Order: sequence, then C-alpha cells, then structure tokens
Amino acid sequence: MKKSNAVFSIARAVLPYLLAVLAAFAAAGVFIALMGFDVFKAYGTILFTSFRTPNGFVQTLLKFVPLVLQALAFTIPLTAGKFNIGGEGQLLVGATAATVVGIVFANLPPVLLIPLVLLAGVLGGALWGLIPGWLLYRFGINEILTTVLLNFVSFNLVNYVCTGPLRDPGAGHPTTLAIGENGWLPMLVNNPPLHSGILLAILVVAVVYYVITRTVSGYELVATGANPRAAGVFGINTRWMFIASLVIAGGVGGLSGALEVAGAQHRLIEGMQHNFLVLGLIIGLIAKGNNLAVPFVAFFISVLEVGASAMQRTLMIPVEMVFIVEALILVFVLLSDLVQKRVS
Amino acid sequence: MNAPILLHMRGVSKAFGSTQALDDVSFELRQREIHGLLGGNGAGKTTLMNILFGLYRADAGEIFLNDQPVHITGPKDAITHRINMVHQHFLQVGSFTVLENILIGAPRKNRWNNRYDAEVQKIQSLQERFGLQVPLDALIEDLPMGMRQKVEILKALYRGVQVLILDEPTTNLTPQEVDALFQSLRVMVQEGLSVVFITHKLREVMSVCDRITVLRNGKNVLTLDRQEASEDAFVRAMVGEGMDLSRSVIFAHAGQDLPAPAPVPLLRVEGIVTAPAEGSVALKGISFDVREGEIFGIAGVAGNGQRELAEVVMGLLPVQSGQVFLRDQTLPHPDSRRVLKGDFAYIPEDRLHDGFLPRASVAHNLILGLHRRPPYSNGRVIDWSTVFSRARELIGQYNIKTSGPEDMGGNLSGGNIQRVMVARAFSATAPVLVAHNPTRGLDIPSMDLVYQKMLERKRQGQATLLISEDLDELMLMCDRIGVLYKGELLGIVERGQFEKYTIGQMMSGIRPQA
Repeated sequence: MKKSNAVFSIARAVLPYLLAVLAAFAAAGVFIALMGFDVFKAYGTILFTSFRTPNGFVQTLLKFVPLVLQALAFTIPLTAGKFNIGGEGQLLVGATAATVVGIVFANLPPVLLIPLVLLAGVLGGALWGLIPGWLLYRFGINEILTTVLLNFVSFNLVNYVCTGPLRDPGAGHPTTLAIGENGWLPMLVNNPPLHSGILLAILVVAVVYYVITRTVSGYELVATGANPRAAGVFGINTRWMFIASLVIAGGVGGLSGALEVAGAQHRLIEGMQHNFLVLGLIIGLIAKGNNLAVPFVAFFISVLEVGASAMQRTLMIPVEMVFIVEALILVFVLLSDLVQKRVS
Repeated sequence: MNAPILLHMRGVSKAFGSTQALDDVSFELRQREIHGLLGGNGAGKTTLMNILFGLYRADAGEIFLNDQPVHITGPKDAITHRINMVHQHFLQVGSFTVLENILIGAPRKNRWNNRYDAEVQKIQSLQERFGLQVPLDALIEDLPMGMRQKVEILKALYRGVQVLILDEPTTNLTPQEVDALFQSLRVMVQEGLSVVFITHKLREVMSVCDRITVLRNGKNVLTLDRQEASEDAFVRAMVGEGMDLSRSVIFAHAGQDLPAPAPVPLLRVEGIVTAPAEGSVALKGISFDVREGEIFGIAGVAGNGQRELAEVVMGLLPVQSGQVFLRDQTLPHPDSRRVLKGDFAYIPEDRLHDGFLPRASVAHNLILGLHRRPPYSNGRVIDWSTVFSRARELIGQYNIKTSGPEDMGGNLSGGNIQRVMVARAFSATAPVLVAHNPTRGLDIPSMDLVYQKMLERKRQGQATLLISEDLDELMLMCDRIGVLYKGELLGIVERGQFEKYTIGQMMSGIRPQA
C-alpha cells in the first residue's frame, strides 16, 4: 500500500516530464523535416551517441561535470529565493585563479598542487558570489543585476590574463600557458581520457542534497525561500541566508572552472565557458529548482549536447537544433505546470 | 402570525474544487424579519449569501423572489432585485468623503454638475429614519469602524433594498455600537425590509433575530423561530454530534473554574514607545505584566496598535524606549530569535505573511522556529523521522485536513493554515505565548481545542498574552484584560469586574473613571 503509493507519486511526478520531452522532440522534428533531413536518423544520433561507444559515454560525462555544477550554482540560491545568473563569471574567475596558482606553484608535488588549484578555483568563484551577496546584504541591490554584470567583468579579466604576462605566445587564440603537470587531475580512464573531476562533481551533488534536506542550515535555507518574512519572524537570519547561498553557489561555480582547467584544458582559454551558464539555467529550471533532480536532468542534457555535435558531424544538421529542443523541453515543462493546475 | 415568504432559495449546491461548500441547501426569508444565518467558520453561510448577491454562481438550485423565479448572474442583477449585501471587509474609498462613498456607482439625477442637494436630502431622511448618523462630509479614512459600517449600510439603503444581507457585521464593533446596530435593524424590519444576519455568535442571533437557520459543513441543519428553541438546540446543531460538549470551554454552563494565577510576573513590558510610521500605530508608553499561569487579554478595535504590540513583545519591531523582561531578565531588543531560543511561542495575526511557508511541506511548517532544538534536531541535523511522527500526531490532534506531513503548505485552506499556526505554537510549550486572533477562521470544535490548550498552559503555570478582536473570547478566557486605544493602554480590568459595556467604552477611547 505504502510502496505502491510512492511508486504512483513518482510516476505522477515523472509523467509530465516525459510528455514535455516527447512534445519538444515532436515540435522540433517538424523543423528538421522541413529542412529536409531524416528526423529519425537525427534523433537516433542525438539520443544514442552517448551510449554506442566508450568515447561517446566519456564525452557525456565530461560535459556533465561543468553542467551539473553550473546548474547547482543556480539552484542553491534559488532554494533561498535568490537568482544567481552569474555562474559563468564564477566559472571564469575560478578558472583564472586555478590557472594562476597552477602556473605559479607549478613545482609543488601533486598532493599539494591539485588541492591548491581546486581550492583557488573555489575561492575565486566564492569571491564572485560574495560581491553580489554583500551588495544585496548591505544595500539591497538586486542580485540578478549584479550577478549578470559581474559576468562581463570576468570576461575582461580572462582577456587580460590570457593576453598578459601568462599568455601562451604559441597559441593563435587568447590562451595562457599550461599549468604545471603536477596540478593536472589524475585520470580515471586513459583511453578514452576521463579525468577524476566527475567524482568531485558527484560528491558535490551528494553534499548539497544532504545539507539542504537534512541539516538545520538547509531547513533554514528552504524556509527562507518559501517565505522570507515568516522565516524572519521565527528567528531565521534571512539576509545571512541570501549571502551564504550566493557565496556557496559562487564556490560551486568556481569549482566548475577549476575542474575545466585542472581536468580538461590544463590552461585558461578565452571562451572556455561555452554556453554552460544558459544550459545550467535550463537544467535548474527544468528540475524546478529541486536539487535532487538536477543531476538527472544534467545528465540528460549532456546526452543531448554530445549527440548534437555528432549529429552535426554526420548529418550536417546544425547543433543549434538541439538547443531549440532543450529550450522547448523547458517551455513544455513549464506548460505542464499550468495544465496540472487547470486539471486539478 | 406568519408573514408571507419573500425569498426562497431551494436546493442550492456549490463546490470549490474538491470541497463541497454547499450541499442541497434551502433557505427561506419572510417579509419583515431578521433572519440569523448561524454556523461556525467554513459552514457555508457566506457562500450561500454570495450566491444570492450574485458573486458566485451556484452549481445547482433555484432562487424565488415573491414566488417568481429569478436569475442572478452578478451583483448588478441582485441590486435590480433590491437585494444588497454589506461585506465583512468594507469596499470603500478611504480618501473620499462619506457622501461620495454612498453615491459611488449609483445613478445620478444630474450628472453634469457637482450639486448633490437631492441626494443629500434623501440620505438625510434615511439617516433619520434608521438612526444611522454619520457626518456626510467626513473622510472615510478618519472614521472608526462602527461609522464606516453605517456608511456601508446607508450605501445599500440608498440604492433601495428589500433584502439586506449583513456578513458578520459585529466583528469590529464595540458592544455599544452593536446595540445601536441592532436597534437600526429593528427599525428596518418595521419599515418593511428583510434582513439576513450572518454570524457565528449564538448570543447575537438570540438577542436580535426572529428566525434562525443553522448551517454546518455546507448543509442545512435546522430552521427555527427564536421563541421555539432553547440555546442548547442551536449549540447542538452548530457543533454536531461529534463534539464532547461536557469538556467544552465555549459552552461550559457554569462559570469558568479558572485557577488563580501565581503573583509572579513572567513577562513584563515596561514603557514601550515606538516610532510613528506610515500605516502603523505608534505605541505610547505601554506597561503591563503577565503572571505565571495567567491569560492576559488585550482588547480593542482592530488597528489600535495590537499588531505593533505583538511585534514588540516578539522582539520584531524596534522601540524608541521601553523594555521587555522575561522573569526579570531584560531581553535584548530588537531580537527576532525569541521563538528560536525556546522562551516564546507566537501565533501571528497575519498568518499568510508572518507565519506560513506555502512552498514548503506541512512538516516544515510545523517545526518553523522549533527546528534548532530537540526533539526535532540536535542543532545541526534535523531528525526527520521524529519530525514526521510528531507532525502526524499534530495533524490528527488539531484535525488539520491534509494528505500528510509531506503535503505542500500551499495546498491548505485558510482554516487549516490557522490550525498549523496553533499546533506549532502549543507544541512549543514555551513559557510565554503571544496569540494574536488565534481562533480566526477556525470552526467551533477547533476553537474549543484552542481554549482547552490555553487552559492547559494556565495549569502548567505558563503565561499567555491573548490579543483578540473578539470581546466574548477575551471575557471567557482571560484573568485580566487591558484595553488598547490608539496605541495607549487605557486601563486593565480584573476578572470579576468584566463588564462588556465598560470595556466597550474604553475601546472607543473613553477613559475609565478612576
């Protein structure tokens, strides 16, 4: 009785997602067909590239690491009712800090340098979360505004570092020198190459979930997001919750940058943030801010992203098609909320 | 001698979502009668009359006026049929004069100038006939609630009514104003009008109504002439068979057997002065104490500083001078952590804004403010299995209608939200409870449970500050009552000297003769 109830309620929660995904694929399929491509072949590529070859799966995991962290950088403050749109700024500042430390202390042994590089990334990102947090705490300035604007500051910071003293003169694109090899993350699998950042990302997911659902601080974060006035009346320091959630989110965003540097690129590259911020927002919104749902949605979006590149390579369908699919999924998920409200 | 039937509602049903608000309800109104519509909160009284006034559309049922079927699809139709309603919350423009508020939306004789001679004359004759004296050129926002209600009644009379519906008209009135209202109603029925009087207070219907219809859970229970029935019959009809009346506090026949409080002050408030601010009343030097085992009441018409006083005691509102003491310890001020520290429990007046988490579970709501202490947590990690089992107990004990502790708060109705507020506050077992309108929106068994819990606190030597707009509630429960008027405590009355007219005078600003 109890168990079937739980199964039923999970089914009820998942069903609108399935419908939304189907509807998004159907709608985008119309466009693909109109453009004169084979819809089923396209979708087959998108959905199964990740699972057909070891390389595809590793690519998916590598995509998953920054995406899940960017999504959490958005949903952690969202739990407290605040919007962090500064994930890419936090990623870039974290990556910059990690690169600088990785170059300056290149001669330290790995046991010291790897944690140091990662810590530098976390602190750099946390600083980029602290600034909007403090402006909100002290002056009540809207955090959406400040987090977005700080992204642009970070672009220029990266530009400066990549073209300044740490520039790699041999590269054709603004790029720094490589960090010391002692700072590279150890490999889990060498061929295809998979670095150990995935373990850290999963650890972060688990810790965030535990803290928010089990601890007193997590409870206060949820209460603050649910009704800041009532939370304040009953003794919770809501302004502190706002600032803390933004700083932690910044740290997570910074970690995503540090992992890109220490694991994937081994250097700071202008433009390395790709569209991780927007995808993170889409993941967070599709998950409706539920921190437990974030890793699953993030994995699904990673599959689509990897499939998209394969689709472009083999079928010549532009990758932007998948971006349309992702956005449509979000639209249909939001629509399903409305429909559910009407029905019940 | 029965007057002919003016209005007949037959087989009216109405559902809101999955809750059946009205189920096959019938209602008869005779000419020249005051008909009391009695029932607890959620009984469906207001819903039934909102259907008559055209604010809701019934799912089923017919309305007959003078034996002719009528279709009312909006308030405009109701007004054409000379049916009008005075709502619990007045619909008035604060910055307009009384005259402008009465005339708003009514047809004008000459709409091209600003002369209102004919209209003023008509209003003045209504005022004289029904004893509803209000200065026509005063601004609404300057008037006390009793006056504003007269404006609302005049507004209805001016449009011409044969059926006047009053929804809980005595809520914000002093006892003197209630008496005046009842006299006006008497004159109205003598002049040929019929009045529907919605209330949950038995004493009021017994004193003014000719006939009484009792609703419970959206169903007709009975309709009786006042002379035909005893008070007991109505009580039984209102609460149903499920409630144990012998343990009831509300319907206890003998006077309350309240144990006397110990003479030790537990909560002391001294010389509280707050800054005047837009939209709030400044407190002007308030001092009182609440002793061990005492229920101390604050009476007053709403908006005389009750909310500010509650927030000062809870440490939420900054003060200019004055202090709050707990057992002779000065409390730091302002300090919103009084609930967290375990010394205070709080039932806020504005439950939606100040006390409730709509986007969190019922369990989350039930532990708000208690979440840092045992049994719910060790200060770092929340023990959810204890929280859930305690939450299930509270849901059962306080009869909170929800699918379970994991249900979202936003799914609860107003009355159930209030039950959550109450369950949380009493489960805290704090030495001091500040309860602001704790029974608002509760049905009778739940109200009674609140009173029983307050008496339990009293027996355990805990202090309760009960701020209420319901004078009957205060006189039933309190050991002493302080009367608040425009931010001042005009006096404190001891139990045994409770007399509703003296308290009523103080509520309207008249100082007691010392």
